[in-house]
Amino acid sequence: MPDWLAEATEQLTDVVGDQAAEWDLAGLLPVETLRTLGKQGLLCAEVPVEHGGIGARSADNGAFTAHVGSLCSSLRSVMTSQGMAAWTVQRLGDARQRREFLPRLTGGELTAVAFSEPGAGSDVTAMTTEIRRDGDAVVIDGGKTWTTAARYADLIVVFGRYGDGGGAVVVPADTPGVTIRPVPAPSGCRAAGHADVTLDSVRLPLGAVLGGGGQPLPLLVTTALAYGRMSVAWGCVGILRACLSAAGAHASGRRQFGLPLAEHQLVGRHLAELLAAEQVATRVCEHASRCWDDRSPEMVIATVLAKYVSSTEAARGAAAAVQVLASAGAQDGHVVARAYRDAKLMELIEGSTEICQIILARHAAAQASRREPA
Amino acid sequence: MNIGAEETVQRRILEFVEERTKADVAVDKDLFDSGLVNSMFAMELIVHLEQAFGIAILGEDLRLDNFRTVERMTSLVDRLREEPVAGHA
Repeated sequence: MPDWLAEATEQLTDVVGDQAAEWDLAGLLPVETLRTLGKQGLLCAEVPVEHGGIGARSADNGAFTAHVGSLCSSLRSVMTSQGMAAWTVQRLGDARQRREFLPRLTGGELTAVAFSEPGAGSDVTAMTTEIRRDGDAVVIDGGKTWTTAARYADLIVVFGRYGDGGGAVVVPADTPGVTIRPVPAPSGCRAAGHADVTLDSVRLPLGAVLGGGGQPLPLLVTTALAYGRMSVAWGCVGILRACLSAAGAHASGRRQFGLPLAEHQLVGRHLAELLAAEQVATRVCEHASRCWDDRSPEMVIATVLAKYVSSTEAARGAAAAVQVLASAGAQDGHVVARAYRDAKLMELIEGSTEICQIILARHAAAQASRREPA
Repeated sequence: MNIGAEETVQRRILEFVEERTKADVAVDKDLFDSGLVNSMFAMELIVHLEQAFGIAILGEDLRLDNFRTVERMTSLVDRLREEPVAGHA
């Protein structure tokens, strides 16, 4: 384990302490804490050292993400957004934009990435947000929904239509015409700062469009989401670890009918399934991270697989943990109650379970298809 | 036949595309119009080209036109191999 990871793991355990329940109930994270972690580069640890980052490998950042996910999925969601913004700048931006924005993302500024719209969720081609060139500037009009971390963000990476293709623009949250309205009561990751973002004639210099824009929108979104999916997948490993630990402790400590709960076979089965889920999710994430670190083309499918397996296992595992703890865990703020709500949300975002299944099914069919002249 | 460096690049790209699409592909075939390639596979192609040829395909080079045919990808790789690596993220 690299030094940064050992130190950061210990630090996060201290920083979160026993406050995750309180943050969940209040629907708010302490912004100064986010800025402190941001300045240390911990919210987007894979940013290269030359841009002020830690330069973490995917596997190490994954282990860190799982740790944060085991403590607080809202904080982990903020990390996912910041990391996805950084990755988007890295991939879609030009050299000047990487030099300008990445040090800000590792310097304490907070970031969100805005994809979804009222009429464009899974179908990104239905996006109506428009980026229009006007001389040396661009003007952006549109409305984004459910933008994670937008409530805390200093910068928002906004995706939209641009010319014949798409574009991603780095929008300072205080630009005239930008309105951010927090989602009143999200069902999961309640403190992650989900917000709706309205852009009304938002004017920015041309240099705010990453890589000049005009690339195909689905390719832009697929590129950005790849990081988000990896981060969500590892976060779900954390959810499973928290559930396994809570259910294991409760089932071995509490006695009913003269025996520890764990000795009752129907309860024991929940523990066995939770253990298997945590291991399966960990291994599938480790494999995907290895593909990232090796820069293998398999990373594309391995990432979707990891997100799919890890989030569905987490949703099932969290339900089992609530079942084992019963009334002991059935109150808002409790670790398994949070896990239950947070894990379900993870099946919806960054490519729903069904979208992941469609991608995996197409991949399976393509791999098995017979070779014919095209 | 004169097998120069460019032809080797082209051959390697063609092998990857044919292996992944399970189809025989002409070097000037439009992969997107023929439905052989979607955005997931486009990303695999990008990662493959980066890894196989030690280049970084970033920003404005992510245009579909650069990946439309095996020939276009070959030109992209040739151009990026000549550029200094300072542009690496």
